[in-house]
Amino acid sequence: MNPEFQRNIWLELTPARLLLMTGFVLFLIAIFSAAPPGFPSSSAVATALYYFLVVLWGTRTVALSVIAEIRERTWDFQKLSAIPPFTLMWGKLFGATSFTWFGGILCLPFIVYPVWRGEGPLPAASELAILILQGVLAQSVSLLTSLNLIRRQHNYWRLDAFLCQVMGIAAAFSVYGISNLLSFGSQSQAMSFSWWGMVLEPHRFQFFSLLIFTAWALVGCTRAMRLELRFANGPFVWLAFLAFLGVYEAGFESWFALDVGGAPLAAHAAALRLGIADLALAFSAYGMVFLEPKDPVHFRWLIGEARSGRIGRAFLALDCWMLSFGATILCTLVLALAFWRDPGSVAGEPAASLILPLLAALGFFTRDIALFVLLRTWSRERGDFAALAALAVLYVVLPQIAGPARGLLLPQMTAPAIALIAAWMEAAGAWIWALARIQRRAG
Amino acid sequence: MIKIRDLVFEYPTSRALDGVSLDVAPQAITALVGPNGAGKTTLLRLMAALDTPYAGSVAIDGLDTRREPREVHRKLGYLPDFFGLYDGLSVRRCLAYAARAHDLAAPDVNTAVTEAAESVGLTDRLDQAAGVLSRGLRQRLAIAQALVHRPKLLLLDEPAAGLDPAARRDLSRLLISLRDKGITLVVSSHILAELEDYSDHMVIIDHGHVAGGTAFKGAQLYIALAAPDGKLKDFLAGQAGIEILQADASRARVVCKGGAEGRASLLQTLMGAGFAVSDFGEDRHALEELYFAQLGQSGEARN
Repeated sequence: MNPEFQRNIWLELTPARLLLMTGFVLFLIAIFSAAPPGFPSSSAVATALYYFLVVLWGTRTVALSVIAEIRERTWDFQKLSAIPPFTLMWGKLFGATSFTWFGGILCLPFIVYPVWRGEGPLPAASELAILILQGVLAQSVSLLTSLNLIRRQHNYWRLDAFLCQVMGIAAAFSVYGISNLLSFGSQSQAMSFSWWGMVLEPHRFQFFSLLIFTAWALVGCTRAMRLELRFANGPFVWLAFLAFLGVYEAGFESWFALDVGGAPLAAHAAALRLGIADLALAFSAYGMVFLEPKDPVHFRWLIGEARSGRIGRAFLALDCWMLSFGATILCTLVLALAFWRDPGSVAGEPAASLILPLLAALGFFTRDIALFVLLRTWSRERGDFAALAALAVLYVVLPQIAGPARGLLLPQMTAPAIALIAAWMEAAGAWIWALARIQRRAG
Repeated sequence: MIKIRDLVFEYPTSRALDGVSLDVAPQAITALVGPNGAGKTTLLRLMAALDTPYAGSVAIDGLDTRREPREVHRKLGYLPDFFGLYDGLSVRRCLAYAARAHDLAAPDVNTAVTEAAESVGLTDRLDQAAGVLSRGLRQRLAIAQALVHRPKLLLLDEPAAGLDPAARRDLSRLLISLRDKGITLVVSSHILAELEDYSDHMVIIDHGHVAGGTAFKGAQLYIALAAPDGKLKDFLAGQAGIEILQADASRARVVCKGGAEGRASLLQTLMGAGFAVSDFGEDRHALEELYFAQLGQSGEARN
């Protein structure tokens, strides 16, 4: 048996705890089964309990399975073991959460059986699969987040555990809810929607989306564990994920086109798809630059390798946020080129008029990434949160009080050149400052 | 056993190790000493392949820690200065987990657990929870966990910190017995007098550099005469198994081979030759003096 899974089972599944959980779940469901009409059904209670145990509690437990190892000073021992990364990963993922899964599994028959009785075995099986996938996705995203957060080596373990929980829950419910959102977005409330021009049934799309994102989350966990165990990862799997993310998100272009009035944007489907992919890449860059450590020593090493002409070696050691950052820049430039070559108009404006605001947005994005890097050099503990606060000030507070000078802070259609110059000056200033701090070394 | 060449390690705002090169002999106990913040823990972590060097290389039994970290992990056991245990597990389960985590086959686990527990004297505690053990026993359990997969190299960071005198004496005995079983040990410590009891070599680390080192050749003796005698140095030089470190007419510092019998024989010979010996015994401050002398030279050289 996987030794990490075995260790967790020893700690988690003691006879007393199993008895307590069984009693708690069955007692609660029994009470609501006997309740008069007007109270939630036993199936609804079982569903709520399942989400509480597997998603809400499970995400916290699995995050702590790594964070607590650091706090309790046992992580070095695990890193020195011979357990392969994938084995250690699933040993934690399913071992640390075995108690919450035990409770969740007790709930499942009360959720699935009414579906079976009402709609037949296939919908019941689908419901079961979706519930389990949601749990695994939530917990694996939480584990992935915790494996990234521990690389930042700060001491806010409660905050880290909370962040992991939030990320896990958000991941599970965003993929789950996307098909509902899409069927709501379509005018007919129909049981189908368009993705990459294909008409799909939301429930099936939801299932496959969950399956694919869960697989990616497990790949991510394994890679993050590899880093902890001193394996080199290389950039290609993350680049493949970015390509997948771009393609997946770009498929929703028809929903966005409908949302802004249909016809004009629908004529520019390719540009719209590229724009949506670009946004997804930018979000991945923001997410990863927040989560990853942005270690100045690693930066210095990369710069040293690049200066020595070992570009390939430096490329293989790039962090995920660096790859997302590069991919976003590339995608934005391709989008600008697409607008430049497009003789048509978008929402009454020539397509080419979007180029300057787009490049200004790229400048502000470049500045934002530099802010995360810069503030990390000030404080390992608080740098990332300081960067978030700085972005809130730059995008929310200052534009409110800047009046006509708003163009210095946000992309503008009215004075695009000013915004463009301001954005890139701010970006250059932030990067020069950040790189100067990175190169500075005491002693 | 360990070859370190031009090793550099950086923290964001400082260079912790700057061009460290050293060799560690196999089947010996090497003491790593130096002031706080000198870079001892960083060096041990790099030897353990837990961190990646900025430049330079560390090879453990011929394996490069950067290229083959997991193979290196199989060859060593490491006890950090601040370690944790799975307090909810029994000693037996802690050791069984450690054995399985180090890829020991299931049929070998029980034997490995028994051996590791025996080697640290925990056989009678196997069914106690790790969380209820005293500081000294926790230390032993942690060492047993690091030993359970029978590594060739054991790295110990401040293993005697927080132990009472009896536990420290037991630890010294344990380390010597492990060396005698063929394990190479690298021990970082501040307690110089105790290092002399069990170490074969000393390496001094200061400000991220190797500031000095020496091989211990045997127990150092301090001899003082009540009445100065100019023949003392020549007399000692003529004795077999004696190496003079320093001598004048009234006192001498020598290395005496042959253990307790050798010392008894030397004292008898000195008395028989008519020297008025007023003080004769192990020089407990020799290592300390050597340490401060080399550290001082290193500091002067840096300045």
